[in-house]
Amino acid sequence: MGEVIVVTSGKGGVGKTTTVANIGTGLAAKEKKVVLVDADIGLRNLDVVLGLENRIVYDIVDVTSEHCRLRQALIKDKRFESLYLLPAAQTKDKTAVSPEQMQKLCSDLKEEHDFVIIDCPAGIEQGFKNAIAGADKAIVVATPEVSSVRDADRIIGLLEASDLRDPKLIINRLQPKMVRYGDMMSIEDIIDILAIDLLGVVPDDEMIIVSTNRGDPVVLNEHSRSGQAYRNITRRILGEAVPMMDLNYDSGFLSKLRRFIGIK
Amino acid sequence: MVDADKTVPADNAIEFNHSAEQEATKVMDTDTVLVQRTLRSGQNFYFDGNVVILGDVNPGAEVVARGDIIVMGVLRGVVHAGVDGNEDAKVIAFRLQPTQLRIANHITRAPDGEADGPHQPEMACIKNGNVVIDTFYTGGF
Repeated sequence: MGEVIVVTSGKGGVGKTTTVANIGTGLAAKEKKVVLVDADIGLRNLDVVLGLENRIVYDIVDVTSEHCRLRQALIKDKRFESLYLLPAAQTKDKTAVSPEQMQKLCSDLKEEHDFVIIDCPAGIEQGFKNAIAGADKAIVVATPEVSSVRDADRIIGLLEASDLRDPKLIINRLQPKMVRYGDMMSIEDIIDILAIDLLGVVPDDEMIIVSTNRGDPVVLNEHSRSGQAYRNITRRILGEAVPMMDLNYDSGFLSKLRRFIGIK
Repeated sequence: MVDADKTVPADNAIEFNHSAEQEATKVMDTDTVLVQRTLRSGQNFYFDGNVVILGDVNPGAEVVARGDIIVMGVLRGVVHAGVDGNEDAKVIAFRLQPTQLRIANHITRAPDGEADGPHQPEMACIKNGNVVIDTFYTGGF
């Protein structure tokens, strides 16, 4: 019997889909049976980020309205045998599915997979309510910006009201240099307001744009800092106590020279 | 069964009553509610009396009370004390950083550009027709 985790944020564009793709791929790389569910009906993106868009035949609305069997709609990932995707529909909208249908879908998926990870759409309306309907746990993604933290706080309040207590936080797109200069909220500032457990911090990384365009999750890239962060988050989800990455690492030439000579 | 010998002797007891003596003894028996958690963005709390919050009031949260509002945490949201026109109402917090503070008919906000206020307990009340914010000293009313 697996567990259903919903990845939500309130604010759009903070990295929910990227996080779902990378955590899912990371868990599958550790041989867990994972299914990723795109609940953003009408604006589907998870298939693109995983590079599986040209393999879609059926989608989540076909499954819930019983036009096809669940097994027919699941797409096997091109890299990992134990990773599946249930894509969203691109032609309908969030009212095409009800919370009760999502609940049934999640309990069906739980039986055959270790992890069911749901990519929640932005907002607090029907799409959000559908996405959290079948979830056991929640991960909230926020960027270090006042508007994102405000929306994340609202979402945490709504999650607690729906009995999804103890959500975990992922802070995405942190820029350590800006934090040092006081131009960006620090990890402590964010946790001061949101007051939930931190699951991980992902630094801002240009590699993410390359990886989402190519459909190659960054968690598989050995040289990527954000990939390392997602690998650490994957290990923490599996129960390992992984220390936080040192984000102050600067890989520019002058810094390398400084380190070589021994100046800090 | 209450042991008669252990009851508080009459001259040490503090009387709660509805009369004008309340002003003299400074013991008010208006309804007071205890909220034992942080209020998050989008959560509103209304009460016909005093409100004590054991937690923070996050930006986007709102507390409206007929009496005083006491936040045992950081106040970053909107509060309205003395909502029925009571200008004696007060707002007290461990850290007073509200987006907007209202007492009776007065609405105030922090001066533009002020990043972070002092990190000590403060009290907002109306003095001479203006909302005034002072450091909070126990017993200093």
